[in-house]
Amino acid sequence: MPAQDPVAADEEIREEEDYMSMIVAEPTIPKVKETYTQRLRRKALESEARGRTKSKAERALEEAAAREDALAKSLLEDENASKSKGLKMMAKMGFKGGALGKKGEDGQGLMDGRLEPVGVVIKEDRGGIGLDNEKKRKIREEFESESKRVKAEEGDYRDRVRRERELAKLEGQVAAAQRVAERLDGEREEEAAGITGDGVPNGSISSKKINTQPLKSINVLWRGLIRGREEKERDRRMRYDLHQSLSRLPTYDDPDEDKDYRQALGKEHTQHVLVEDLEEEDPELDAFNELEPAERLEQLISHLRRDFNYCFWCKFSYPDSELEGCPGLTEEDHD
Amino acid sequence: MADRRSEADLPQAKRPRVGDMDPASNPYLAHMYEDEAANSYGGGYGGQNGGRNGTSSRTGLSDFKRHATTSAQAHKAEDGPNNPFNNSPLSNQYFNILKTRRDLPVHKQRQEFLDMFQKTQILVFVGETGSGKTTQIPQFVLFDDLPHFNGKLVACTQPRRVAAMSVAQRVANEMDVKLGEEVGYSIRFEDVTGPKTILKYMTDGMLLREAMHDHNLTRYSCIILDEAHERTLATDILMGLLKEVALRRPDLKIVIMSATLDAQKFQRYFNDAPLLAVPGRTHPVEIFYTPEPERDYVEAALRTVLQIHATEPEGDILLFLTGEEEIEDACRKITLEADEMIREADAGPLKVYPLYGTLPPHQQQKIFDPAPPPARKGGRPGRKVIVGTNIAETSLTIDGIVYVVDPGFSKQKVYNPRIRVESLLVSPISKASAQQRAGRAGRTRPGKCFRLYTEAAFKKELIEQTYPEILRSNLANTVLELKKLGIDDLVHFDLMDPPAPETLMRALEELNYLACLDDDGDLTALGKLASEFPLDPALAVMLISSPEFYCSNEILSLTALLSVPQIFVRPASAKKRADEMKALFAHPDGDHLTMLNVYHAFKGPAAQSDPKKWCHEHFLSLRALQSADNVRQQLKRIMEKSELDLMSTDFQDKNYYTNIRRALVAGFFMQVAKKDPSGKTYKTVKDDQSVLLHPSTVLGVDSEWVVYNEFVLTTKNYVRTVSSVKPEWLLDIAPTYYDLSTFKSGEVKTALQRTLDKVKRKQATKRTK
Repeated sequence: MPAQDPVAADEEIREEEDYMSMIVAEPTIPKVKETYTQRLRRKALESEARGRTKSKAERALEEAAAREDALAKSLLEDENASKSKGLKMMAKMGFKGGALGKKGEDGQGLMDGRLEPVGVVIKEDRGGIGLDNEKKRKIREEFESESKRVKAEEGDYRDRVRRERELAKLEGQVAAAQRVAERLDGEREEEAAGITGDGVPNGSISSKKINTQPLKSINVLWRGLIRGREEKERDRRMRYDLHQSLSRLPTYDDPDEDKDYRQALGKEHTQHVLVEDLEEEDPELDAFNELEPAERLEQLISHLRRDFNYCFWCKFSYPDSELEGCPGLTEEDHD
Repeated sequence: MADRRSEADLPQAKRPRVGDMDPASNPYLAHMYEDEAANSYGGGYGGQNGGRNGTSSRTGLSDFKRHATTSAQAHKAEDGPNNPFNNSPLSNQYFNILKTRRDLPVHKQRQEFLDMFQKTQILVFVGETGSGKTTQIPQFVLFDDLPHFNGKLVACTQPRRVAAMSVAQRVANEMDVKLGEEVGYSIRFEDVTGPKTILKYMTDGMLLREAMHDHNLTRYSCIILDEAHERTLATDILMGLLKEVALRRPDLKIVIMSATLDAQKFQRYFNDAPLLAVPGRTHPVEIFYTPEPERDYVEAALRTVLQIHATEPEGDILLFLTGEEEIEDACRKITLEADEMIREADAGPLKVYPLYGTLPPHQQQKIFDPAPPPARKGGRPGRKVIVGTNIAETSLTIDGIVYVVDPGFSKQKVYNPRIRVESLLVSPISKASAQQRAGRAGRTRPGKCFRLYTEAAFKKELIEQTYPEILRSNLANTVLELKKLGIDDLVHFDLMDPPAPETLMRALEELNYLACLDDDGDLTALGKLASEFPLDPALAVMLISSPEFYCSNEILSLTALLSVPQIFVRPASAKKRADEMKALFAHPDGDHLTMLNVYHAFKGPAAQSDPKKWCHEHFLSLRALQSADNVRQQLKRIMEKSELDLMSTDFQDKNYYTNIRRALVAGFFMQVAKKDPSGKTYKTVKDDQSVLLHPSTVLGVDSEWVVYNEFVLTTKNYVRTVSSVKPEWLLDIAPTYYDLSTFKSGEVKTALQRTLDKVKRKQATKRTK
């Protein structure tokens, strides 16, 4: 086809739209003359398409398409139908369209008679009865559920993002509350030790956070925090050991190494002793972690208020259990 | 086809045929011989030839009043001592058979049948397979209709030739008469009846041909259409015809017999004719469906068969598949797998038998062999598996089947007028068919049917009834027959299922191009002549016009060869060897001439000295060739009667083969394809369908124009049995069809135009010379 300039064509039509004369004319689209080179190129392309040998698959497709085309077209509606001698003979017998068969009261054929020839369906594989439709059904279902999912996502996107952000914020607050609780708990223990002990402040030791306490003795409210930290530490050390062992087995004991050297390599002293029950199951903690973050936060806050007279929102330890001056239990109260 | 056998060993049409066919071994009758295995046939006719004088006054029927007899009267007459129809003494064998006959389900309702038969002109009779309707009802009719008293006959039609022959033989035995005398049969190319015949079994097509010359079927006092549920083309036309004849002949009785339950449709069609139903001998059949559709129905079928063998109790298996190749392949695979099961899992022995139409009769008989015994004493019982096409569905009865495996497909003929292709395609069966198949499992005892599709698919995807043949056929031949039957208004002819208007339009058009019908739709002289031949119009026209091409002898042979099954045999085990042998006969101009070469060689002294050996060595079907020989005889007789000259071009003449090819065009000019300029494919003329030459052809792809005998639809479009022709011939021999103004522009039209111009130029130069 010669290339048409759509704008030019459009303008042609607009020019003809003369509302006063009210003549509805066929829009004439002017033929843009193709240039010599354009024609040459088109001819070349066309002859190339003609000359190319079609692949087997292409031919099979064309063959099937031609067949289906022919099968779909009624001979009675063909452009040559009026010339058909067969149809003329039938007309002479009284055929006026419709089905063949016994003359009904209206002089026509059977009311529910056959108008179309029986279809030709070519089976190309050994699929059992119902397989094709089953396949089609599955594809359709998949397509439908896919589009449904996409739609649902589009609608909920903002909601989802908002919810996710809220959850992340709550988890952050939980972790913060846990840290506060741990600190307060630690301070209280130190105090107790300072009072009951020989008066030597041992804060420097405890500040090293060498934790040898079994995890289960820690309050479940912030046990997760410590467990997480211990696990991280263990992983770090495992990686470290692995790294070391790449060059030397950890059990390798070199008698020539002197003590200082060994200490320098960190072989002599274990700085950190892992808690003994780190590898054990902890159903209590699991149950706690199952809870919604808001619920966990609430438990932590009320624990802080009750045991330490501390308000998480005011970030302040009140002198007594009255918590005088704190506006309330929730974050909103502190706005 | 199995039913070609008889014509093969019967060069003369009227040879009485007693004793050369053992009915007990006939697949179509086997169910009748359950209790008689010990009896033998062939003897026991002593004395029957004496004392017959043709008058009926002294027979057991002398006090019978036509259409007023009772079951008791008939019973008494049957008890003898003399044959009520010819007064000869009855043999012992007769009485033996009589006993079993009286056990048949139809016998209990004999009086009921008579009451209805006497009261009405048209009766619909429903009896399931095994009820005995095909053999007994015509005899019930004989005792009441007494056709011999007024020189008439009772006709009973069958859709299949083998059935007509074998049932006639059986009934002749039951009535203690000689086949061809009181009881006879008539099938295409073979008539075994005589002046004494009062009961004639015949194919439905034969009755239709008789009606062409005797529009009112005046020879008959009663016509029984058997197996009407099969809805063959001829049965459908006959029903339409009989509806009209019944009005013109109030004395004619008509019985429509069907094996299935859609009998109401027949009742409605025959103006609410009364219905009589006789139950068959059946047991309940449990039906199983698969939970999921199968990916490969053949593989699923094999799996199911083996599973049944491994887990189910004793009982034979019937598996339905679609065609010869598929069946042979399945048989091989089942046998292999079963051998392994026997070796490794101690399964019982398993015998596998194929069953399809083109299987030689002696191999078809094997399906009646009993199941094999256990491999050792106390071992698991043996079993037989029959893998068959839908001929095992209704037409023959195999006892002992307890399990049916039904993948739900069969090969069915389809015709579509829009692309003018008539082909056999694998298609889903109908619900009615599925029920018939299931019923096969309940003949002997309660059985099981495994359907290899889901219950939902059964309900949703299967059509209710198989489309009757009339909706799936090219009607050119039928239209010619109807015209000859004196039916002018084909549009309003009262058919049970009228075809689509386009089908009729195409048929009329084709006949017009073949010059069998003029533009007004009236039969031409050629059309009248063509209708005399039991052939497709294209073949008939080719044959009739062959004298014009000086090769009617050769075209006669070729027509016969095209009317029989494939003459070339190509077993899977020896494809290469078979192809080499075929190459010996190959003619460079195509398959038609190759077939002719085969026939000429077959008729030569070398082959005739031992035809069986010769055919075997050359991978040819002796049966098909003999049958072609027989068809040729019959057609020759019609040609002689029609005063068509039989002639040949001298073999030394360079036009010997050209003339034959030109004669081909005279009949098949509508089945022509032209090579596509791009390569291997061809385009059919006018319909513009892309086709390939069938791989079996001897023709190379360098032929520009080919005429073909068949358009075969598979996953590819093929034309089979092709010969090369010249475009000049097309324009010369079929100018109306090749009127270029009727062609759509395209490659074909351009090429023809070029040819036309060339011819014109040549003529012009000739004239100027």
